[in-house]
Amino acid sequence: MPELVLQARGLAKAFASPAGPLPVLTDVSLEVFAGESVSIRGSSGSGKTTLLQQLGGLDQPDAGEVRILAPGSGLVAPRTSLGRGVGFVFQNYQLMPELTALENVALAARIAGVPALSATAAARALLVQVGLGARLEHLPAKLSGGECQRVAIARALVNRPSVILADEPTGNLDERTGAEIMDLLLGVVADRGAALILVTHSREFAERAGRRFVLTAGVLTPA
Amino acid sequence: MPWFLHLALRQLFPPGKRFPAFATVSILGVGLGVASLLIVQTVMNGFGEEHRLRIRESFGDCQVVGAAPIEQPEALAKALVARPEVASASLYAEGPALARNGDFSGIAQVRGIDPTDPGQPARKYVYGGSFDDLDDGRIVLGAGLARALRVRVGDRIEIWSPAMAERAEKGKAPLPAEFEVCAVIVTGFTEVDNAAALIPLRRFREIWNLGPRAHGLTLRLKEPALAEATAARLAATRPELRFRPWQDIKKDFLAAIRFEKTMLFFLMFIITLVASFSIGSTLFSAVIRRSREVGVLAALGAARWEVVGLFGLQGLLIGALGTLLGFGLTWTILSFRDGILSAINGLFGGGDMVANVYQFSKVPLHYDAADFVIAAAFTLLTTAIAGLVPALWAAGRKPSEAMRDA
Repeated sequence: MPELVLQARGLAKAFASPAGPLPVLTDVSLEVFAGESVSIRGSSGSGKTTLLQQLGGLDQPDAGEVRILAPGSGLVAPRTSLGRGVGFVFQNYQLMPELTALENVALAARIAGVPALSATAAARALLVQVGLGARLEHLPAKLSGGECQRVAIARALVNRPSVILADEPTGNLDERTGAEIMDLLLGVVADRGAALILVTHSREFAERAGRRFVLTAGVLTPA
Repeated sequence: MPWFLHLALRQLFPPGKRFPAFATVSILGVGLGVASLLIVQTVMNGFGEEHRLRIRESFGDCQVVGAAPIEQPEALAKALVARPEVASASLYAEGPALARNGDFSGIAQVRGIDPTDPGQPARKYVYGGSFDDLDDGRIVLGAGLARALRVRVGDRIEIWSPAMAERAEKGKAPLPAEFEVCAVIVTGFTEVDNAAALIPLRRFREIWNLGPRAHGLTLRLKEPALAEATAARLAATRPELRFRPWQDIKKDFLAAIRFEKTMLFFLMFIITLVASFSIGSTLFSAVIRRSREVGVLAALGAARWEVVGLFGLQGLLIGALGTLLGFGLTWTILSFRDGILSAINGLFGGGDMVANVYQFSKVPLHYDAADFVIAAAFTLLTTAIAGLVPALWAAGRKPSEAMRDA
């Protein structure tokens, strides 16, 4: 039986608006196991990114709770497992513009407390694995969109998190590059035994996940 | 190196940029603020030191006077020189007199001194003539008094002392004492230059009917800086005499110099403060521009204090580098101070104020380590605060909001 790496129960979130609270998530529950991939599809404004932020601990839900498996600590609140239990891949890559590809990946390990030399070695190995062995010292401005996303994937994986949360990882890429990134993401996540939660509006990419959900009006339902 | 220090350095000095505008302008702003603070302080120190030296040279390190003329001044001098704190003692007598050159006259503060004493301070301020020519028939005049009497070196003047008036009251013919001007001195102290008339003590005693007495002694101390404490110790052994340390002789003047320095420090500190605030506002803009990165750092697991460190360190680094630049600018500008002053005088006119007004051969300066330490501490503190405020704001934001707002 695969290990439970993420458990969300009864998540609810509403944003304030002039017309009163605007519910975005309503009683969302989800369980994700090691090695599996889960896609969450929905139209723009359906609350996909908000859900991902609740799952990853970037925001607090109004109700409900999330637990994530942090290596060595068991299931903990996502806020305390940031960088260790959970890794993020964003639509706009979100790389530090002043750092090289190698430094960007190593930064995530340094923040998690890995010594500089070990962090750099792990970052180098991952960048080679995602096909950027020849671009280690390039700044993000000198990389293509696809290359930047590869760096972002390597950064998300460098601390060996149990869950990768990917928010529209192909949203800024052309179709071919998007497909390559999906291949890479599914491949490396599976290689490392991590779980992947993929938020996308693309039916095609969503179909490639092992389990599929649709978020409509704040309610998560199996696709 | 902690990751946030590495990132702070990279954000301040991004690779591939020859001219990191934000860092360069901020560091330059702090550097100029620190330099103006230190230049003013160092020159004010120089003026203070120069004035203090002149006070000591003009009035001695310590003056010894009594309620009445000192009866056995030579014996007193010998006793005082025997003390370990005292380097030398010279007798003097002084009194007002009328100086006259034909139709021109002026009130002279005549001082009888030992012309053979190589440590006589007036030797350093000779503007024309020779101090060594001073003898019973010659006189050294302050430049202002010489001007008032319209005399130069080699001219003759008459000195009318109060003792001569006493002679006249007794029915005797009051004959003035005649002197040839052998030197003119300029000390920079108007009250001295406009009235000083130096003659040998022996001659003064004759003219003033002083006998073997003297009005006081001028002491040179081995530690002039400790004159106040030394004077107090000496006074305890000779309660009938008054010992005035040099700090007491020109107390108000020295206090005015200190006050000027304090005021200028305050004004220059405001300049540094303004520079720090401009860094604060620029850093704030930078933090807002980097909101998304703050959110990403949180998503990567960065602790709040590390985000504070990232931006706070940028303020501190700007402060530290600006302070170092300020030190360098201070040294460079002060090394070429006279050339710079000449250029300013050449451009705007005004002549050589330093020589004409202050009687200094060059702009005086005195580096004081305390000024540098205080300037560095103030600058680092203000720039750290300037960096810390936006850093705390950034660290306090929700990662989701930070990423959404950018």
